[in-house]
Amino acid sequence: MEHLFWVLLIGAAVIWCIVIGAAVYAQKASVPDREQQARHFIVWGGAVFPTVVVGALLVWGLVILKDITPNEGDRTIRVDGERWWWRVVYDTDDGPVPTANEIRIPLGETALFKLTADDVIHSFWVPSLGGKMDMIPGRETQLALTPQKLGNWGGLCAEYCGGAHALMRFDTVVMEPDEFDAWLAAQAQPATVDPEDEGYQVFTEEGCGSCHTIRGTDSIGPVGPDLTHFASRERLGAGIYKMTPDNVSDWITDLDNMKPDIDMPSYPHINGARLEALVSFLMSLE
Amino acid sequence: MPELPEPPGDAPRVIDQGSIWILVASPSIWAAHFLISYWVAAVYCAKAPNAAPLMEPRWIAIGLGVFCCAVIAWLAWIAVKRYGGVFLIFEEITESSERGRDKFIGHVSLLLCVLSAVAIVFNIIPGLVLGEC
Repeated sequence: MEHLFWVLLIGAAVIWCIVIGAAVYAQKASVPDREQQARHFIVWGGAVFPTVVVGALLVWGLVILKDITPNEGDRTIRVDGERWWWRVVYDTDDGPVPTANEIRIPLGETALFKLTADDVIHSFWVPSLGGKMDMIPGRETQLALTPQKLGNWGGLCAEYCGGAHALMRFDTVVMEPDEFDAWLAAQAQPATVDPEDEGYQVFTEEGCGSCHTIRGTDSIGPVGPDLTHFASRERLGAGIYKMTPDNVSDWITDLDNMKPDIDMPSYPHINGARLEALVSFLMSLE
Repeated sequence: MPELPEPPGDAPRVIDQGSIWILVASPSIWAAHFLISYWVAAVYCAKAPNAAPLMEPRWIAIGLGVFCCAVIAWLAWIAVKRYGGVFLIFEEITESSERGRDKFIGHVSLLLCVLSAVAIVFNIIPGLVLGEC
């Protein structure tokens, strides 16, 4: 796809030089008056040449489009756009592995994203890795990405979807295949939670489990992001804040300022030792 | 006494005298092909999982495109033969006569035929390359 950019850029520069050169040449008084040649030049240069060039670019662009929209990849990742976060499910041989707001993919393998939307139209876009693809309620769209470089590439929703649209982001971490396999195996494990844990007690008392799932516990709420390995993510709140205890604490008590308009309410009444216990419990979910 | 209109030229008069039907014909064919391709593809993609269609929509669009191009070629032939149209005009048509008007209409029709045919081909290309919903 990078070739396309350079060919378009250089081609445009060459054509621009020819057009400007012809205009400068035409301004010269010494140019002989050869109308027949001029008309041929207009027809070939102004109609035939652009038609052929545009036709060739159309075919080339379509072939690239075909390459990035195959029906199969080395692994399938289902991403569901919700207002305003991303539900991510890895399909593995041992069953689905749910996570949220962070996508990890192995270097050099083709990841096939199956995209859906829960409520309104969203658009899945990791600019550094490839084109964008709409996520449409009631339909499944597909996008294949084959990362060539290690790193953390920012992703975002590219279709306006309401109040917190600009805060609907995610990290796309490209890893070495070995590291990725280890990461995915860890994500597939349930959380190790002591039911007597003080923080987990607060979690259940406040009803967090009716919206959030922590696999391996009684909390199986399907509404919000899966928190089983919450603290293993690099960011909080759909890719917008660093995953630090302070930010998690603010997230719980002052959500209206952290990310306005979202469905999760603020819990300003959780404070002191209870808040500390809850935050340290959440930060232990690695 | 008012001046009598000049006798008509050789070109056919389908609707009334001075008709320019041939000008509108080829862009209309292009528009029809574009719309029908869209409709066929939309209905196919919405219904395909539940039905066993006779053929993929791209072959309908391509077949229809070939037919449309053939009709446009026939129109171009009329523009050349009966209107006296040429692709390149080297002398301005200034003659205020039926013959001069026919030549002008023939010339414009010929250009529109080429434009419409190219547009239909561009419509078909995605079907040739992709062919999926």
